Amino acid sequence: MRKLMDTLKQEIIEEMHLEDMEIEDIEDEMPLFVEGLGLDSIDALSMIVILEKKHGVKLENPDEGKDIMHSVKTLAEYITQQQA
Amino acid sequence: MQTVFVTGMGAISSLGVSVEQTYEALIEKRSGIGKCKQIQTVHTDIPVGEVSLSNDELRALLKVSAEKFSRTTLLGLVAAQEALDSAGVKKDKNLKTAVITGTTVSGLDRSEHFFHHFLLDNRAGDISNLLHHECGTTTQDIADYFGFHDYISTISTACSSSANAIALGSRLIAAGVVDRVLCGGEDALSNFTINGFNSMKILDRELCRPFDKTRSGLNIGEGAAFLVLESKKVAEEREKEPIARLSGWGNRCDAYHQTASSPEGRGPLQAMKEALTRAGITPQDIGYINVHGTGTPNNDITEARALITLFGEKVPPFSSTKLYTGHTLGAAGAIESVISLLSMQHNTLFPTFNFRQAIEEAQLKPITSVTKVENIKHLLTNSFGFGGNDTSLIFSKE
Repeated sequence: MRKLMDTLKQEIIEEMHLEDMEIEDIEDEMPLFVEGLGLDSIDALSMIVILEKKHGVKLENPDEGKDIMHSVKTLAEYITQQQA
Repeated sequence: MQTVFVTGMGAISSLGVSVEQTYEALIEKRSGIGKCKQIQTVHTDIPVGEVSLSNDELRALLKVSAEKFSRTTLLGLVAAQEALDSAGVKKDKNLKTAVITGTTVSGLDRSEHFFHHFLLDNRAGDISNLLHHECGTTTQDIADYFGFHDYISTISTACSSSANAIALGSRLIAAGVVDRVLCGGEDALSNFTINGFNSMKILDRELCRPFDKTRSGLNIGEGAAFLVLESKKVAEEREKEPIARLSGWGNRCDAYHQTASSPEGRGPLQAMKEALTRAGITPQDIGYINVHGTGTPNNDITEARALITLFGEKVPPFSSTKLYTGHTLGAAGAIESVISLLSMQHNTLFPTFNFRQAIEEAQLKPITSVTKVENIKHLLTNSFGFGGNDTSLIFSKE
């Protein structure tokens, strides 16, 4: 889980062009969208691509998207659950 | 206020993959309008101004990997590379460099590719194609490719997009915010634009006839062009002879209709006036106008009225070059800036060669043959967008 969360943080920094950030700057349970990291709807698309391309996981139910993409922790939990 | 010099330029369109090829086509009166080859469309009878290279050929030219960029970005990169090469500049840590591009479709070609699969099966299609959809992606791709990260911005104001990108670049240098700007625009053909303009019934099935009484619409095209702008100070320090000075710009909105100009061409008139005021010159100082001249009934009559209101009986020599390149939408302002600068460099005006009959009300006749002129000190180029977003740029000899 620790390793997966750090991987996700690195992928978020790269894909969302957060050039001045390090993985230490993103807390596990920090909200990713609007508050916290302050990502936007275009970043949400990038997030879906990260899930599909890098982790082989699809968002099956769009209604769950908001909860799944809440934080790095919720993302890691979803990926782990889907891959199990 | 810093003086703004143009020190480099690059262009790709249906006329060719370089400024030199563009110039050759223009003096040979060779239009790039023809049958659509790169895009699968049911509208095979619609002529377009298409770049002859496939995406694979563009990637090979740039030595980039497959699938990395949209066609719009690929076109932009080719023109931007040529502009930087002609200016003789690369990334320089000591100079603040901005990248500003104008585009209307960005990676819509990739979105269409995805949508085709997705429409048949909502679990199919590669969703990463959609990452190219947002207009800023193209600018970001170009900025990343060359390593310019000091200031990045995208302008999407329909057909005045790249003219506005050049105007913003000029402002940034004049105000001393940055030292150098790579600015211009790019748009690839897409089914969306072909179908969309077709639905509006403003596409001509023949070669477009700008400013002609019999005009019946535009030809849509694709391409990209970029200018390198530098402050006079930076250009002089490195002893770079400028191509021209960007002396004025004007941007006004006539807020009249989503797709039509106000009948009297109020926006175009105000944009031209503003550019003249900023350049500190009078209408009589303008030696040539590259008009927007799309060939649609609405554009040409309203632009003509604005020209007559501003210049009276003495409208300067003018031409539309859209019958060469087609209307390249977001790229048009930049491509026509390059064409205008070629006119200035070579003291040669490129003709609207198929013009026959003047619009009755206006009686304005564009240049109809390749014309040598003595010396153009100032010229004006117009780019007008849907929504009435109208921009005029003035380039001057130093």
